[in-house]
Amino acid sequence: MRIVVGQGSCGIAAGAAKVYSAIEAVVGSSAELTITGCIGMCFLEPIVDIYDGENLVKRLVKVQPSDAQKIIDFVNGNSDAVNDIEISADDKDFLLKQTRIALRHCGVINPEKIDEYVADDGYKALEKVLTTMTPEDVIEEIKVSGLAGRGGAGFPTWFKWNAARQSQGDYKYLICNADEGDPGAFMDRAVIESDPHNLIEGMLIGAYAIGAKEAVVYVRAEYPLAIERLTNAIAEAEEKGYLGENILGTSFSCKMRIKAGAGAFVCGEETALIESLQGERGMPRLKPPFPAQSGYWYKPSNINNVETFANVSWIILNGGEAFSAMGTENSKGTKVFALTGKIKKGGLVEIPMGKTLRDVIFDIGGGIKNDAEFKAVQMGGPSGGCIPSQLLDTVIDYKALGATGAIMGSGGMVVMDETTCMVGMAQFFLDFTAKESCGKCVHCRIGTKRMLEILNRIVKGEGKDGDIELLEELCYSIKDGALCGLGQTAPNPVLTTIKYFRNEYEAHINEKKCPAKACSDLLSYTIVADKCKGCTLCSKKCPVDAISGTPKNPHVIDTEKCIKCGACYNVCKFNAIIME
Amino acid sequence: MDMIKVTINGKEITAEKGKTILQIAEANGIEIPTLCYIAEVKAYGACGLCTVEVEGMPKLLRACSAVASDGMVINTDTPRIRQSRKIALELLMSDHTGDCKGPCSLNCPAGTDCQGYVKLIAEGKFKEAVALVKDRVPLPASIGRVCPHPCETACRRKLVEEPISIAFLKSFAADEDLKSGDKFMPEIAESTGKTVGIIGGGPAGLTAAYFLTVKGHKVTIYDAMPKMGGMLRYGIPQYRLPKEVLDMEIASIAELGVEMKNNIKIGTDITFDEIKSAHDATLVAIGAWKSSSMRIPGEDLNGVYGGIDFLRSVALKNPVKLGKKVAVIGGGNTAMDACRSAVRLGAEEVYVIYRRTRAEMPAEKVEIDEAEEEGVIYKFLNNPVEIIGKDGKVKAVKLQVMELGEPDEGGRRSPVPVEGKFETIELDNVIMAIGQKINISGFESLELTNRGNIAADTKTFRTSLDGVFAVGDATNRGASIAIEAIGEAQKASNVIDSYVNGEMVGYKKPFVSERVVTAEDLADRQKIIRAKMPHRSPEERRKDFDEVNLGFSVETAMNEAKRCLECGCHDYHDCKLICYANDYDVKPERFAGDKHNCKKESKLVYIERDQNKCVLCNLCVRVCDEEVGKSLIGLVGRGFTTVIKPEFADTSVTEFCKTCQKCVNACPTGALKTL
Repeated sequence: MRIVVGQGSCGIAAGAAKVYSAIEAVVGSSAELTITGCIGMCFLEPIVDIYDGENLVKRLVKVQPSDAQKIIDFVNGNSDAVNDIEISADDKDFLLKQTRIALRHCGVINPEKIDEYVADDGYKALEKVLTTMTPEDVIEEIKVSGLAGRGGAGFPTWFKWNAARQSQGDYKYLICNADEGDPGAFMDRAVIESDPHNLIEGMLIGAYAIGAKEAVVYVRAEYPLAIERLTNAIAEAEEKGYLGENILGTSFSCKMRIKAGAGAFVCGEETALIESLQGERGMPRLKPPFPAQSGYWYKPSNINNVETFANVSWIILNGGEAFSAMGTENSKGTKVFALTGKIKKGGLVEIPMGKTLRDVIFDIGGGIKNDAEFKAVQMGGPSGGCIPSQLLDTVIDYKALGATGAIMGSGGMVVMDETTCMVGMAQFFLDFTAKESCGKCVHCRIGTKRMLEILNRIVKGEGKDGDIELLEELCYSIKDGALCGLGQTAPNPVLTTIKYFRNEYEAHINEKKCPAKACSDLLSYTIVADKCKGCTLCSKKCPVDAISGTPKNPHVIDTEKCIKCGACYNVCKFNAIIME
Repeated sequence: MDMIKVTINGKEITAEKGKTILQIAEANGIEIPTLCYIAEVKAYGACGLCTVEVEGMPKLLRACSAVASDGMVINTDTPRIRQSRKIALELLMSDHTGDCKGPCSLNCPAGTDCQGYVKLIAEGKFKEAVALVKDRVPLPASIGRVCPHPCETACRRKLVEEPISIAFLKSFAADEDLKSGDKFMPEIAESTGKTVGIIGGGPAGLTAAYFLTVKGHKVTIYDAMPKMGGMLRYGIPQYRLPKEVLDMEIASIAELGVEMKNNIKIGTDITFDEIKSAHDATLVAIGAWKSSSMRIPGEDLNGVYGGIDFLRSVALKNPVKLGKKVAVIGGGNTAMDACRSAVRLGAEEVYVIYRRTRAEMPAEKVEIDEAEEEGVIYKFLNNPVEIIGKDGKVKAVKLQVMELGEPDEGGRRSPVPVEGKFETIELDNVIMAIGQKINISGFESLELTNRGNIAADTKTFRTSLDGVFAVGDATNRGASIAIEAIGEAQKASNVIDSYVNGEMVGYKKPFVSERVVTAEDLADRQKIIRAKMPHRSPEERRKDFDEVNLGFSVETAMNEAKRCLECGCHDYHDCKLICYANDYDVKPERFAGDKHNCKKESKLVYIERDQNKCVLCNLCVRVCDEEVGKSLIGLVGRGFTTVIKPEFADTSVTEFCKTCQKCVNACPTGALKTL
């Protein structure tokens, strides 16, 4: 038997390393102990899988170090030893309802062992490409597949490859954008941590297609485990002859290296990324020229996102038509989403295009935490927009999502319930983009700052008549005037929340009320004398001594002193405190 | 060379292939605004002003970097583009802290470039100083002597110790120019063949005549009095403004070719209609020449005079019969002129009766003090209720004793009568200097305001009659100070010029950036005492009408001028930002919010840098990097907090920067300055 502990960053954060150590201490020779990457069920971490040969016999969830002995007992034949931590049938559905292509090895193989990748058809696509296909054939296959850039913009991959292929130049670069910066997005991290060879293979096929001799992975330094595993994987691939000079004995040579980015969101924009690669301040370049003509070191360059590359080897092995058979007319294949927020089952979800948001959130994600009311989902992080409940049946498709005002984005899906203030949500994302603006162009640098100031005053109850219109005016101007994608999409969270939740903005401005009761400046706490038993709990809990009263008599909140922390509200057992 | 055809704003243009839209537009005289592009360095695309629309493209393109292609149809000025540029400029201005112009200039009703001419005086360039003053005020020697100088009121030097003596510096420079033998005379544009009639030869009429003549129009001034000058001649006493000075300045205006017709009274010697029909445009600048009445019994007694009537008689050297005891009623400058004139005419006891206290007197402090030095007796908190006569002649005045009550709208405490408390003083004469009114006779065809003044549009100065404009004391709010009338006349001359040329353009107050400065901000300045104007002793001067002030010496004037803090931006006239801000009619207050508040770096090698004026066009960085190859400056921070930081550590750099300074020249605003 083989005991496999899920060791993605999220699993480790949930305690997987300690679980691993605990099992290691007791495993002895009863089983092989190994690791895998991210299984994608964050809500169940740490996860331990028990295999018998190739067969997964048990999946154990929310495993604690103290469960180690039980696991060993199970391996040693006590078939009921782990019943209490076995995954439920309902939770199993989370994976069963998915279609995994980009994530197909994630949580299955050991990312630190190239043999496991090779054993699962790894590098077969590369071999096929190098031995049986011309670069043009590769581009054609990708064209047939309909694969589009998974970083957010959704630009046809073959077109970029072809442009770089056609571009004249003695030296070309292939670059992987792994600067995953959207708050709440972790698709790329999971792929690199869990299946680094798949990325390498996809990149090599891309490099062959465009004629690049050098490939660079630009990965944010905040992903140390991803960098570690990718570094290891590159070394393994070089050793096995998949990378370097005369790959697999052919005339194709390509070297690969990693560049750790310093964590600027704007470096996810391809020209800013190139500037950063060159050691310059990460600021977008003017386009044209496009990177295909003049990119890294002003040589023809092609940049794709991690998830895009992660699909390539599958397409080559299974054919472009198999990929394009999935999805809708203008969006082919699958898409990975990072499902987070007020969702019961948060994690990585890969589904074919054409499914609806409802499928993802309710069918796979299990609906809203605590069975609260679904309010909206933020798609595409700070560059995306929110989609309200009435549009839950929108299909996952570049065009359909774009029509809502949101975007497909790179796959961040933040679910919100009725306790989320939509003005506050817009403020949160705008605070992010305003701070992450590189400062180059006026509309973005000062415009997002001014928008943020307006939002700040609205949530404080200091909004003015005309603020919504002023926000809209700024939004459209920034979209029109900003140089790069960061600025052009920064207004999306504000525009979509105004579009779908204008009443919330109006309530903040006109009535100085937050309908979601989330903006503390607009809340007041009072004690209902009839209900108060004088238990004194609230006055003891109040951090600023704003509550006075004698035991067994109704207490009173001094609103002047009250800092609206909500501690009294949370502690009262008699529902005697009203928050409004 | 490959050529392409493009269409810009409907005009078909043949251009070299590979050129950007901006380059093609520039070469064809089509202006596209930009703050961050210069030909010497690569396009950067930060400012967002050069955006254009290209047919078939959903996005706006940046003209600085977009290479034109054959058949492109480009529009450089559409509502969408204007909106985009306007917002960019508003956003930039919302984070721009600086003074485009000094508070002196902004507070001057005529917008005189005080800082500019004060600096020229400091450099000893008196003629150049006068030329600059005459860009707004054609009577600097006269106005410098009499102006209550709102410029000095606003002068920030008072936060250090006292304001610059701006007004006297002006008359000093003008005096120097007049006596130089090579006085400044403006260039006159080619004759337009248009004529303008100006009614009233006071400060407003003379000013309008000056500027309209400079613009090439033929101007005739009609004035009812024997000589030109208006209130400067007939309202301001000789001891303050010697008429010889005024004569010289009027003569300079006459030399330009202005026809001056005196002793012409409208309605008597010629009709208003006749003047109107004789000219392409007419300006009414007739002033306010009637003394206001107090509406108390005894006003028509012998020995009671109106303030300006009295001053006019003195100016005309008409015998004015004054007794030994004279009371002047009022607290303004006319009251001061009247009481000090009365002293000079030999009155033994001269009272100034004012219903408030000294602190509320609208007259200038120096006037109040000098009058007192000359023996004038102030009777504050007294209000005349009756002039008592005997045999038809003034005998005494009965005064109601007042006290100060609550402040009025303007913040001045209103006087209220102390019930039953009266005082009577024996007098021979009463001079009522409580205000002045317009005499409308001859101009009945003009629409009046409800105050009885000529109604004139505040932007175009147009009256109810086509082709007739009006400025100064006779209009709207009534009498004010001379510089106010001059300011209006100067603006009106531009409007009239546009009117006679076929398309009237009203005055538009330019948008400027202003900042708030406190005494704390100027705490590091060395205190330098304000130059005192030398003057004759009270004993001496009360005997005659000779000028009280003796004038600055060259040395005093130059030293005084050097006290100027130079608040206004050195780059105002070359600043692209403020130029575009006005072109696009910005309202940056819509986006008021946090601003950069960086300390001015007063000595960065040989450069002064004010980050608060920086627009982050990055030209300094790029020029230093690409053109000079030094890379001494760079961007630091991100988002709104981004700033440009220099690295001037080693001495070889300092030496190099001393001779280069290309960054300063590239800066589109006043953020960089060569020291």
